[in-house]
Amino acid sequence: MLILQIVSLEPLHGYGIAQRVDQISRSVVQVNQGSLYPALHRLELKGWLKAEWKESETGREAKFYSLTASGRKQLAAEKHSWARLADAVRLIFDEGAR
Amino acid sequence: MITQLVNWFRRKKLEAGLERELRYHLDRRITDLESSGLPTGEARRQALLELGGIAQIEEEVRDVWLSRWLRDFTYDLRLSTRSFLRMPSFSITAVLSLVLGIGATTAIYSLVDQVLLHALPVRQPERLVLIDWHGDQVANGFGSWNLMSYPICRDLDKQKQFFEGVFCRALTTVNLSTGGDYRPAAAEIVSNNYFQVLGVGPVLGRVLTNDDDGTPNANPVAVLSYDFWETQLGRAPDVVGRKVLVNRHPLTIIGVAASTFKGIDVGVVPSIWIPASMSAQAIPGFSDLLDRRTRWMQVLGRLNQGVKVQEAEAALQPWFKAMLQEDMRRAGFPVITPERRREFLNSSLVLAAAPQGHSSLRRRLLEPLWVLFAVTALLLGLACLNVSGLFLARGSARDREIGTRLALGASRGRLARQLLAESLLIAFVGGLLGIAVAPVAVRTLIAFLPPGTAPTALHVGVDSRLLLFAFLASIAAGLLSGLAPAWQAGRRSLMSSLRERGGTAFGGVRLRKIIVTAQIALTLTLVVGAALFLRTLDALMAKGPGFITSSLVSFGIDSQRSGYSPAEGNRLIRRIDEAIRQSPITEASAIAQFALLTGGSWNDPMTILADTRIVTNRDVNLNSVTPGFFQTLGIKIIEGRNFDERDAPAPGEKGWRSAIVNEAFVKRYLGGRSPLGLRICEGSGPDAKPNIEIVGVMSDFSYRGLREDSEQAYFPFFEGEEAGGTFYVRVRGRPQSFLPSLREIVHSADPTLPMTDFRTVDEQVDRSLNSEHMLATLSGSFSALALLLSLVGLYGVMSFVVTQRTREIGIRLALGATRRSAIWLVLRDALAMILSGIGIGLPFVWALGRLVESQLYEVKPSDPIVIALTILVLCSAGLGAALIPAHRASCVNPTDALRVE
Repeated sequence: MLILQIVSLEPLHGYGIAQRVDQISRSVVQVNQGSLYPALHRLELKGWLKAEWKESETGREAKFYSLTASGRKQLAAEKHSWARLADAVRLIFDEGAR
Repeated sequence: MITQLVNWFRRKKLEAGLERELRYHLDRRITDLESSGLPTGEARRQALLELGGIAQIEEEVRDVWLSRWLRDFTYDLRLSTRSFLRMPSFSITAVLSLVLGIGATTAIYSLVDQVLLHALPVRQPERLVLIDWHGDQVANGFGSWNLMSYPICRDLDKQKQFFEGVFCRALTTVNLSTGGDYRPAAAEIVSNNYFQVLGVGPVLGRVLTNDDDGTPNANPVAVLSYDFWETQLGRAPDVVGRKVLVNRHPLTIIGVAASTFKGIDVGVVPSIWIPASMSAQAIPGFSDLLDRRTRWMQVLGRLNQGVKVQEAEAALQPWFKAMLQEDMRRAGFPVITPERRREFLNSSLVLAAAPQGHSSLRRRLLEPLWVLFAVTALLLGLACLNVSGLFLARGSARDREIGTRLALGASRGRLARQLLAESLLIAFVGGLLGIAVAPVAVRTLIAFLPPGTAPTALHVGVDSRLLLFAFLASIAAGLLSGLAPAWQAGRRSLMSSLRERGGTAFGGVRLRKIIVTAQIALTLTLVVGAALFLRTLDALMAKGPGFITSSLVSFGIDSQRSGYSPAEGNRLIRRIDEAIRQSPITEASAIAQFALLTGGSWNDPMTILADTRIVTNRDVNLNSVTPGFFQTLGIKIIEGRNFDERDAPAPGEKGWRSAIVNEAFVKRYLGGRSPLGLRICEGSGPDAKPNIEIVGVMSDFSYRGLREDSEQAYFPFFEGEEAGGTFYVRVRGRPQSFLPSLREIVHSADPTLPMTDFRTVDEQVDRSLNSEHMLATLSGSFSALALLLSLVGLYGVMSFVVTQRTREIGIRLALGATRRSAIWLVLRDALAMILSGIGIGLPFVWALGRLVESQLYEVKPSDPIVIALTILVLCSAGLGAALIPAHRASCVNPTDALRVE
């Protein structure tokens, strides 16, 4: 979901995604850079991401990933279910606090 | 899943992409780290560390592309291919065994599929049913099987609550001309709704429909088959509207039927479809189209959507019973005994699903083809066992390799899978080559089919159904032949395999012995089967037709099909007979109204007037022949006299004055007492008037076929209404050389008169033994192959055993054992396998015997001589194969054997 969210903002290459993950999560979530690539390829196989080779900001060719229509749908679905879970959890905590 | 399979084919591109992608990542990271002040070397180290092992990432990504098992499988295949290429002789032997098995099975299956299983190329063939009369129809008839009258078909067609439509058809041969010579051609006489009910359309013009006039003789039209249009008319586009001559009657072509449609009878491709209303023209002398008591057509119907066969059958009975009552009251219903009346009223209609149409070829080949299919399936099983044995043999040579892989942590399942992949690979190569040889094999098989089969009725090509079959057969073969080795690999203990020296696995030997035993059992079954068929053929050939066939030629002439009236035709053919007899090349000549050894006959029950009135309890086979018949065929008149001028009818007299019956007739109905002077007649009813005198008794000979010993009664063929028949001519010398002269004689009588079935009688005998020939030849060659395969298997195991026991044998010899005892040591082993194989095989022999019993003649499936001989052959061949390794064992030099290790 994290990857889908990042890519939904703009098409990005692997390295860019890794950096963005680093930035966003700071040191809260430690994502191993190595496990990023199998994840990207799995998402591509599922048809949620599509990839194309484009010139990057440094002028070299890089593989840019972007969200497909079904990927967008998947992201929305996951956001929704995550929101419901978070709501439920908050409700439990609120109950406890009262 | 699909994407993953696709990925396998573009993995090169994917690999390159991934490599570039990771390199880009690494380079960017290094640049970034450098710009934050780290030295180049340190930055690279740091970047690599962050990323983790590149090889590992690549592996993981590959797992995404192709799921794990698929990758393993491709590795297995690659490894197998390499190892097979390293051992070409092993691979060739294994593949050849399977090509043999799969090729033979596929070829036979091709025929099974086309002749027995394939549904007609019509709309929803599964809704077609064959309708038949079960019981006594009190009717005269002609034709093959499942016959009913035309009016009953029309009545059934009106039962719309069950049937979308009911049509009828009859096969016949007509003299057909499209302008040139008359040629005999297969024609199907059909009701007008035939094409509509089947759902077959035209490629040109139109087909017959219900709108066509059904009044007799009113609708002189015909539909051509695509085959005929293509081969005889060169696909002329303007054929619609032209006329063809059928038995000299002009019919207008209204269309050409769809190209895929070849009639509803596999094995016969009609040239032309003629409406039933024109049957008097298609069958000269026939005028009983509207007679309810003439059975001559097969009736088929298309059930309404959703109506079940049993439902329709049950629901039709009340209507049918009412029809029977009505029939009895009709004018012209024959006078019959009360017993027969009861049988008539007890009749019922039987419906049978008929998606494959109606075929006499199928009827004849049903059992022989299934038997051959079973035989080839056994052969394939045997080939698989052979490959299994080969794999096991190689497995013991590869013991070290497998032990090492186990020690390195390969799972047993993984190893077993590897071995299965190997056998599947072999099986697929075998299957592909099998498919490649199948068309040749099918062509050979078709040559064995009954000679009347239309050449275009069956195809030799490979279609999708055949491919699917070969594919499934290959998978089965692969699994079957890989099972034993895989099981063996899964069972092997790591400790023992590492401890053993130089590959001496005894478990493998036991399994191989079991396999050889199974092979012997299968071979026994096949060889016994082949021996039974050979003895059947032999017995039939030895029996012969009961007359002298050498220098005997036969051909048929039907003058009515060439437009002669019965009386004129009769005069014509007797004139031809006379001319042939006058010719210097002939020794004798005669005409029989019905041909011998064709499977068919004219038959009817008879009434005999002896001391009491005797009605025969089964049909007597009848014929009428010219007086020269018995002399020409060399048939003896045992008692009484031959036909002569005394038997000729007086002018205006109808019917026969005299008859000659055969020995079987006398034996069955008169208990052997002299029949001379007794009177008989055709028919079994109370109105039958026995007024034909028996003047002679002839020796028994075959009429319908060699297998049948029937009661026969022959009438004299003189001046009368018989206008066609089969000529039997005994020539002076080799028959083939006189065919042109005979043709010349017929030609000079009437140049347009076609001669049918022109051949020697020896050839006719061969033709009538067609399915026996097919079974004997094919099962004989298959069992020879089977024997060869299992001998190779036996030899392989025994040589392996001898190699393993070299040391032991050496020690025995050193301690004073004789060479003979060393040989016996090995032979004993082989004999144990052979005998237990035979023991296991005997029940199979029994089962096979029940399957083929109806195909045999004068030999029982449990014939002790056949079985004893087969066992003898198997034992001696098996011991022969084992003798070579045994001899090697006896030549072991004790000192060498002990020095081996």
